[in-house]
Amino acid sequence: MSGATLTAPTGGWTPNALAAELEKALGDPGRIVRQSAALDRAERFPAGICRELDALGLPRWFVPVAHGGELRDSEDLAQLIRVLSRRDFTVALAHVKTYLGVVSVWLAGSDRQAAALAARVSAGEVVSLALTEQAHGSDLLAGDLSAQPLPSGGWRLDGEKWLINNATRAGMVCVLARTRPEGGARGFSLLLVDKAALTPGSWRALPAVPTHGVRGADISGIAFTGARVPAGALIGAEGEGLETILKGFQITRTLCSAMSLGMTDHAMRLALRFAGGHRLYGRTLAELPQAARALAESYVDMLAMEAVSLVGVRSIHALPAEQSVASAVVKYLVPSLGDQVLDALRGLLGARAMLVADHADGAFQKLDRDHRIVGIFDGSTAVNLNLLVNQFPALVRGYRAGHADEPGLAAAVTFAGPPPPLRPERLALYSRSGSSVVQSLPAAVAAVRGIAVPGSLVARCDRLLAVADEVHEALSAVRPSPRGVTEETFALARRYAVLYAAAAATHLFVAGHAARAADPLWRDGLWLDAVLARLLRRLTGEPDLDDEDGPAVDALLPVLRAQHDEGRLFSLFPCELAKEKP
Amino acid sequence: MTDTSQTTTETAETVRAWLVDRVAFYLERPAADIDVSAPLVDLGLDSVYALTLCGDVEDRFGVVVEATMAWDHPTVNAMTDHLTGLVSGDR
Amino acid sequence: MTVDLRPEQDHRARAARLERALGPAADPANPLGHRAVLAADERGELLADGERALREFGLNAEFVPEHLGGRFTRADRLGQLMRAVFRRDCALGIGYGVTSFIAALPVWADGTPDQQARVGRTLLAGGRVVAAYTELDHGSDFSRTEFTAEPGPGGYVLDGGKQLVNNISRAEMAVFFARTADGPGSRGHSHLLVDLTALPAGRVRRDRRYPVSGVRGCLLGGIEIDGCPVPGDALLGAEGGAMETVLRVFQVTRAVLPSMVVGVGDTQLRTVLEFARDRQLYGRRLADLPSARSTLAGCFADLLICDAFASVVARSLHLRPGETSVGAAAVKYLVPKLLQESSYRLSVQMGARSYVRTGPYAIFQKTARDLPVVALAHAGSAVCQASLVTQLPRLAERGWRAALAGEAPEPVDGGSVYDLDAPLPPLHLGGLELNARGADSLAGDLVRLHTVLAGQPASAPLAALTGLFVTELRGLSGRALALAPRDRTVLAGPRAFTLADRYAHVLAAAAVAGVWWHARRTAPDTPAADPAWACVALHRLAGRLGLRPGPLPPEPQDRVFADLTARHEAGHTFDLFRGRLASGPA
Repeated sequence: MSGATLTAPTGGWTPNALAAELEKALGDPGRIVRQSAALDRAERFPAGICRELDALGLPRWFVPVAHGGELRDSEDLAQLIRVLSRRDFTVALAHVKTYLGVVSVWLAGSDRQAAALAARVSAGEVVSLALTEQAHGSDLLAGDLSAQPLPSGGWRLDGEKWLINNATRAGMVCVLARTRPEGGARGFSLLLVDKAALTPGSWRALPAVPTHGVRGADISGIAFTGARVPAGALIGAEGEGLETILKGFQITRTLCSAMSLGMTDHAMRLALRFAGGHRLYGRTLAELPQAARALAESYVDMLAMEAVSLVGVRSIHALPAEQSVASAVVKYLVPSLGDQVLDALRGLLGARAMLVADHADGAFQKLDRDHRIVGIFDGSTAVNLNLLVNQFPALVRGYRAGHADEPGLAAAVTFAGPPPPLRPERLALYSRSGSSVVQSLPAAVAAVRGIAVPGSLVARCDRLLAVADEVHEALSAVRPSPRGVTEETFALARRYAVLYAAAAATHLFVAGHAARAADPLWRDGLWLDAVLARLLRRLTGEPDLDDEDGPAVDALLPVLRAQHDEGRLFSLFPCELAKEKP
Repeated sequence: MTDTSQTTTETAETVRAWLVDRVAFYLERPAADIDVSAPLVDLGLDSVYALTLCGDVEDRFGVVVEATMAWDHPTVNAMTDHLTGLVSGDR
Repeated sequence: MTVDLRPEQDHRARAARLERALGPAADPANPLGHRAVLAADERGELLADGERALREFGLNAEFVPEHLGGRFTRADRLGQLMRAVFRRDCALGIGYGVTSFIAALPVWADGTPDQQARVGRTLLAGGRVVAAYTELDHGSDFSRTEFTAEPGPGGYVLDGGKQLVNNISRAEMAVFFARTADGPGSRGHSHLLVDLTALPAGRVRRDRRYPVSGVRGCLLGGIEIDGCPVPGDALLGAEGGAMETVLRVFQVTRAVLPSMVVGVGDTQLRTVLEFARDRQLYGRRLADLPSARSTLAGCFADLLICDAFASVVARSLHLRPGETSVGAAAVKYLVPKLLQESSYRLSVQMGARSYVRTGPYAIFQKTARDLPVVALAHAGSAVCQASLVTQLPRLAERGWRAALAGEAPEPVDGGSVYDLDAPLPPLHLGGLELNARGADSLAGDLVRLHTVLAGQPASAPLAALTGLFVTELRGLSGRALALAPRDRTVLAGPRAFTLADRYAHVLAAAAVAGVWWHARRTAPDTPAADPAWACVALHRLAGRLGLRPGPLPPEPQDRVFADLTARHEAGHTFDLFRGRLASGPA
């Protein structure tokens, strides 16, 4: 690793420019992979690697430019997370979780709080976000940890937070506390707790919780007994805690998709390397049509994941009022698709996918275990699907009205320059206007028809439009049930998420195809055809009995190989990777 | 596929030609490319897949053969010798 | 035991005795309980107390045929019995039991009386025989095996390595799959039964261990042999006969192993059900939320599908041995797939708790790690699908054509394959055929049953559901016949693999329908005779194939969920066998 620190790339803007910059700075991924593998086996925290990242100045990227840091927009974070995650997820998690701890202050804190925090974070302070409690899981409104106002000003904290990333390492903890005994949506507040300023004995770290994956991570907890924090610890106003957290989630949940992008990239590389070298029946595994198809399908799914992640992340800036929809879609869909990609690649690797020390340092089984947490933390699949279900009426209204925030949408899907500035005050807990991305699908399809693309793609787009009508018809028939959400309703929410992904991909292609006309991935709508083919199967549940999708999917194999062989990120946009030493 | 023949007029040459056609069918190669003295595995018909040949033979010649016929007689020539005895002889 | 019990009672008593020997899973003081199992897993060790208990129970006798002094009589019963071990600890099931069973099968099939007696004695004395097949470089492609046994003075000389062999470091005997002739043909390999303790020191290394992410306690090891002579009587069966034997006897393991693994699904479902009953979410119990109930009921139905399918094919080994090359591959393909998908859905219900290795639900994450490893054990899904692929065109031409025309012959066993408590004739390993030659009596039974159901207004839902699979079979038939030549070879592509996947579902549906139908007659008071589970199970299988079975009516699903909770409260297993779990102090 070079001695320099990571600063904004100076060349022209490209979607992956910062990722490429960090790749250059980090160098051969094998080094971190090998160290992390051993640390994971020993269940030890990757402290050394984290120190290197600190030295590289990465913490400054958790601080917005406005507060003196390097962070220009959410895409910066997505790129950094992706690059770290394709090396090692324990490291990515340990490092990036600080952003979760601080985002509430950027959103709702005072200027003084922000300035002080910026200085601490830039100097390498670890900040943890403490929301969940042992007895209540993802049900935040059931939290028992309380903050009572002290007559002298300030707050008294009592209670425990459990299963908290970096709870023990962190110097500061952002705590969600019950500030009204009766609780409720206005009964919780956020407090930024500086551990060093607490009276000794008024708090303690809870023991590390051994976990399925990320075994080296600091996943622990913190307990307070009469801990006193100053009045200035309160972030935003009293009773605003839940709202601030939920708005912060709209950013961080969307960013979680970059973790899945990074880990599937690593997994795909392991699978390709194996399939290219392993011989069966006198051929390489990669030459067997069924195995080649598994690779191609996984690649297509990775491109779909990337498309929805790119549009979702940019929407934080471009369509903030609708981010309650986009973030739930992205946080549910991308990790779930990632799990399926890993399933498919695991099947290809066979026994090697289970070896802890022997095949490529056991890298696959580690990332396989690690990845499962992405769909769980920071709002689980159930939580995100519930969020979508709650917004069904607005989604139906918006679709029927054909509502679209045209400038916002154009900004969300056009990757010709940086996204518009973040306007956090526009983030809303509930999207009144539904989702412009989905609701303007007819326009996107009309635009595809105007581009010279193969008939198969036009046919798929037409089918997508018909399915979009069906989905919204079904959404409109859902009535809130006093017993709770049914499985059928959840299934609809999953379908909606897939529809969103298909719409996002279509928009992305329409907006970007002219600029990328020379790229074989984009020519003739190559990637969109395959992505829509796969997403349509998920949307309709129709089996592909006659391998109708085969040609579109297999057509991506040469691109997949080229990106692998030329050392580029598996991505819709170019990104040169650090060279891997054999 | 040819009609099932129950006659006993099969000669070594008709059996061989039919086998060559069959192997060529599976491998999607011209019959002229099939080396009648090469092991099937070397031609690209692997163990488990070679088992299917026995079914084809049964359907074509109306005889019952061991599932492993193509293992024990692993070339077109060897199978021809084996089958010619069966189909033209003492059934 | 001295009491003379009828075989059926004897079997139930044995299963109960094994369960009692293991004690209550949830009791933290039980040295064989889940707490101890988790601790051993953390240490990467096989639970020593567990091995001891299984030795005292005489588990190995379950793998040894009766005439050699053991208790192995029925493949279906072995699968059911072993579920007790797999419910407790997958690693113990694989590491103590299954490896010896796998290794012994070629001996029972091909061994001389002396070889059989030696292996029988070793196992009955609590020893280990291991199956040394895998070479990492060649994976599932046995025909490229490099480990050689060349003729040498007085016998053979062994040379080469085997990897990922369970217990190789501590076994007394091993069955090696070795190359005995050059070239890649199918007659170039032989089995050798080797006394590992008699190999000359210095020429053998077997202390290499391969740690794995699941079944962490299993001692997966490697062996390197450098020119070791073994006597001529090490040869097991005919020289060059190993490939054929493998294709025969592994039908048994392919059917029985998935049946055992139903026990892992049982523990997962029980753990998540307990979580759902404990956990309050948004002011009510998770178990009272409709989506959670659907998931739990659905996973239970999937377990019953797995049991029905595995049990019917295991019974077919005895009753219809000519056809099980197909059924066993289908079971080994589909059952692990269903179990793993259930595992994923259940983990979503649990959320963060599915990720934690401590606390009351920690056994879940262990089972979630174990399942993919056992799914792979012995034949991965691609291998099983491939072996179905090769048979599809002929099945379509013969078995399915006759079935769909209503011309399939009535099976001579009178449908006893579906009657899970009916007696079975002995298992003849030599009677297992390498290839079904197009015969498919399960398909024939399905079509026949559908015709019967279609004539009974009371059975309309099940008639409609079975009808979907009959239609599906018709579609498969046309497509199998149209498969391109290369789709019938090792170069088979997605078209062929899709057909194999769907066909496995049709077979599973046939098993479900058959089991329900026969239980109605022979065990009318059992849950297996309740159409509710068959309805939910067939609905799920149809949904997986995209057959659009329509919305599932709430009534059968509620009944299945009620059955699940009733079993949970009464301490019954979540399978068709419905055994009793150990309760009280160990």
